[in-house]
Amino acid sequence: MNRSNRIATTVRIVFLSILSLAMLVPMYIMVVNAFKPQQEILLSPLGLDPATATTEFLAAAWNSTQFPVVEGYAFTIFLVIACNLIAIGFSIPAAYVIARTPGIVFAILLMFFVAGMFIPAQIILVPAVFVLKALGLMGTIPGLVLFMSASMIPFTLFIFSGYIRMLPRSLDEAAAIDGAGRIRVIWTIITPLMKPIVATAFILNALSAWNDFVSPQLILGPGSPAKTITTGVYAAVSSYSTNYEIVFPTLLLAVAPILVIFIVMQRFILGGLATGAIKG
Amino acid sequence: MTQVDLTRAGSGVPSSARMTRPGPVARVTRRGSGLAKALDVALTMPALIVYITLMVVPVGFAVYYSFTRYNGIPSQSPQWVGLDNYTRIFADPANEMHSSIFVTAAIAILGSFLVNVAALGLALLLQKRSRFNTFGRAVMFYPHVLSALIVGFLWQALLGPQGAINALMDQWTGSTLPFLSDPTWALYTLIGVIVWAQFGVQLILYIAGLQAVSAELQEAARIDGANRAQVFRHVTWPALAPTVTVTIITSILSLLKVYDVVLGLTNGGPGDATQTWAYEILAVSFANNRVGLACAQAVLLIIAAAILSFSIIVMRRRAEEGAEAVG
Repeated sequence: MNRSNRIATTVRIVFLSILSLAMLVPMYIMVVNAFKPQQEILLSPLGLDPATATTEFLAAAWNSTQFPVVEGYAFTIFLVIACNLIAIGFSIPAAYVIARTPGIVFAILLMFFVAGMFIPAQIILVPAVFVLKALGLMGTIPGLVLFMSASMIPFTLFIFSGYIRMLPRSLDEAAAIDGAGRIRVIWTIITPLMKPIVATAFILNALSAWNDFVSPQLILGPGSPAKTITTGVYAAVSSYSTNYEIVFPTLLLAVAPILVIFIVMQRFILGGLATGAIKG
Repeated sequence: MTQVDLTRAGSGVPSSARMTRPGPVARVTRRGSGLAKALDVALTMPALIVYITLMVVPVGFAVYYSFTRYNGIPSQSPQWVGLDNYTRIFADPANEMHSSIFVTAAIAILGSFLVNVAALGLALLLQKRSRFNTFGRAVMFYPHVLSALIVGFLWQALLGPQGAINALMDQWTGSTLPFLSDPTWALYTLIGVIVWAQFGVQLILYIAGLQAVSAELQEAARIDGANRAQVFRHVTWPALAPTVTVTIITSILSLLKVYDVVLGLTNGGPGDATQTWAYEILAVSFANNRVGLACAQAVLLIIAAAILSFSIIVMRRRAEEGAEAVG
């Protein structure tokens, strides 16, 4: 028994190690080829010869006019924060009222919001473009932020209202007796208790905002000077997709910082996702 | 570690729930006043207004435009054509749209099957807490933090006719494979890349689900002489039913609208071999100013997503009742 257990453990470790390596091979190829000229990439995609390795192409990608890397990162981080502020800030009071008020009206209201979880944002963007045009928000950053926030609200509000339901009512009631109004109860009693679920919503919304390509591309337009990481990469790479001197360095610049963030915050991100899975 | 957050979130609730005692306070906050009601309504307004304006109204627009011919130019107004757009989609006279239905169905069915099998299998291998498993989970998950578009471009550079993998195969075996240049290969390559990028998310959900399965029940079954396969079949799998429902629905919903990865990997080609329904909407109909047609296609996609999710929830209800019995 003991021996077969040990064999099973070894097999498991070996299998998982090989699979992990396979998962990482694309990253390895991307990194080594970011330092090589086209000819060398085609001849030996796996090796890196220190004698001929050059940062020339990385520098060219860094200075690319189509994808301004630093601005792209700054703008994407701005989108992540702005959309989360709106989606979370608007969802907390609404979720509180929905969770705490008995009656059919608010139950229906919750269903109305939940239905939004089944609407794919990038598909509904086609008609939303005309709504934004009518509001004068088409091609503007506020329009983009509002649309992305709107697509986050259904899920955020859904997990929030489920979480608030589990918080004891006696807390609000005690505060109300002490003379605290609705808004004060939400702000000083409920919101601090919601930290774990707010973290989960933030992580999930941040991932979707970070990875969104269609919304910024369509709302801001391909010619817009404001580029996210995804629209910047598209502008820099899509017409030169077989010119690996451009592709690999650009992709490296686009993924390296987010991978560092992921490695540092890995426990927090995966933990938040798991919490969301159980609450959702 | 996943567990830390889980226990923190889990333990916070029961301990505070103990304070919920029906006391004399229970009625004090009952508000008869209209003012409090008005405040309640006002508190839901910001979320409601943003949601209605940019999600619900667009659905209404989509339905309306789907019955019109409209090129999206502000100076022209939509022209009512009844069901023309829908009959055009079903009849498909130019033979351009039906193949994308097949492509999308193949991705949604085969893709979500493979994603879930890989995710569940690896979740069983990675569920225990250890440094190695933490590393393993992160490695399986990381493609998800790269956007789908970048994943598409990356694999395009690896699998293209001159890409790294074909260059290596050429050196080692003297032949290459048409990963992206042959229509049939391209579709399966696309599905493979999607699975590579997506199974990590479902893996985390499965691990969370597995950790919620009662360890005592599994232990009891083992003491009663059940082997590993039997414990899985009769205890773990039934108790996992709610997680399975969530992972199936989320993976199918996300695969129905696959677009970014296609744009990066194949741009719909070769020919229209990898054009998905979302690609058809965004890069064909909408890009060619056929707003009415694009909206009809969007409406059909939303209806398909709703019907699929609803029927999966109904079908899974029996399995989930089993989960409650297992506890």
